[in-house]
Amino acid sequence: MTRRATNILGLVALALVGTTIGMGLALPRTVEQHEYSRMIAIHPPLAWASYVSFGVTALASALYLWPRTRSRFWDLVAGASAEISAVFTALTLVTGSIWGRPTWGVWWVWDARLTLTALMLALLLGYLALRRVPGDIGARGKRSAVVALASALVIPIDHFAVDWWTTLHQDSSIERAKDTLGGPFVAAMLVGFVAFTVLYAWLLVLRFRVEQLEDRYEVEGLDVALAARRAEALPLREPEVVA
Amino acid sequence: MNTRVVVALAAIAAALIILFVNLGQATQFFRTADQAVAQRAKLGHRRFRIEGTVVDGSVHTAGQQVAFVIESKGARVDVLHTGDPPQLFKPGIPVVLEGRFEGQHFASDRILVKHTESYKVQHPDRVSTTVAG
Repeated sequence: MTRRATNILGLVALALVGTTIGMGLALPRTVEQHEYSRMIAIHPPLAWASYVSFGVTALASALYLWPRTRSRFWDLVAGASAEISAVFTALTLVTGSIWGRPTWGVWWVWDARLTLTALMLALLLGYLALRRVPGDIGARGKRSAVVALASALVIPIDHFAVDWWTTLHQDSSIERAKDTLGGPFVAAMLVGFVAFTVLYAWLLVLRFRVEQLEDRYEVEGLDVALAARRAEALPLREPEVVA
Repeated sequence: MNTRVVVALAAIAAALIILFVNLGQATQFFRTADQAVAQRAKLGHRRFRIEGTVVDGSVHTAGQQVAFVIESKGARVDVLHTGDPPQLFKPGIPVVLEGRFEGQHFASDRILVKHTESYKVQHPDRVSTTVAG
């Protein structure tokens, strides 16, 4: 992706996020939640983005483990995406907590949905820590990929938790959108989904480049350092050769 | 190496399945009012969470206490709550209460407002649609 294309993607992402916030603030008061329903423009889309980014990590990890598609590229995509997912998951927890305080009356409860989302953040941070454990690049890639795939099982469990178990958290917003959500709420939420997905794509491109540079530094760093030393040593050796 | 990866994957999957099955039993965040009434003898004085919809016109405040009735699938439970109810507490909405059965009523000390997925817009030309009990 060229620099220009990346910048355009970034501008589109920021414009969409701005639109989402504007649409969210313009939402009307509701009977049950008064002003607080407006969080629907931000909170479900953030949760969605955290699932998508973790899902991409799992997919890239599977492609890395599959011998025919194994390449450094997929390992780096997995790492970059997981880091963004951790940010989105943390933001999901924060916005959910802010929404819960006025509407439920509490910042936090240990129901299935909230507990599993907290577990998801812990798994992501664990995965990112594991990626930093030094070792042979190939072995490290495989080990991280296996952990990413196993951890990603939390995504469907977390998503269906509200249907499978009794939770304080409300049921899935999208599936019921038609019956219970008015037009402006659906519109704001859907624009939010698109906005945070595009934002994710932009962040992934940027984070992947940094990951690539870090990787190059790790692989070529020693060669570069050696070459630099050799270059320094040359003038001293020359007189010896002449003599 | 490959067999080890498979074994590791299988072990993690097994652990998650066990966790998942047990979660299924443990993640009953609350009992609905009808379930609680049915299990009343078994529950005794144990502390648990109960869920039901606040019955219209049943809310009466007296000093530090609020009395109201919750309903779920036809079963009604009298509630005596000690403390301030949350901001959005009102008749007609589902709530989750923490406490225990004491004699004829449920003694609650914590109210969580459980929202439905309803986002009905408030009538714009009315001052308020809220009816205090």
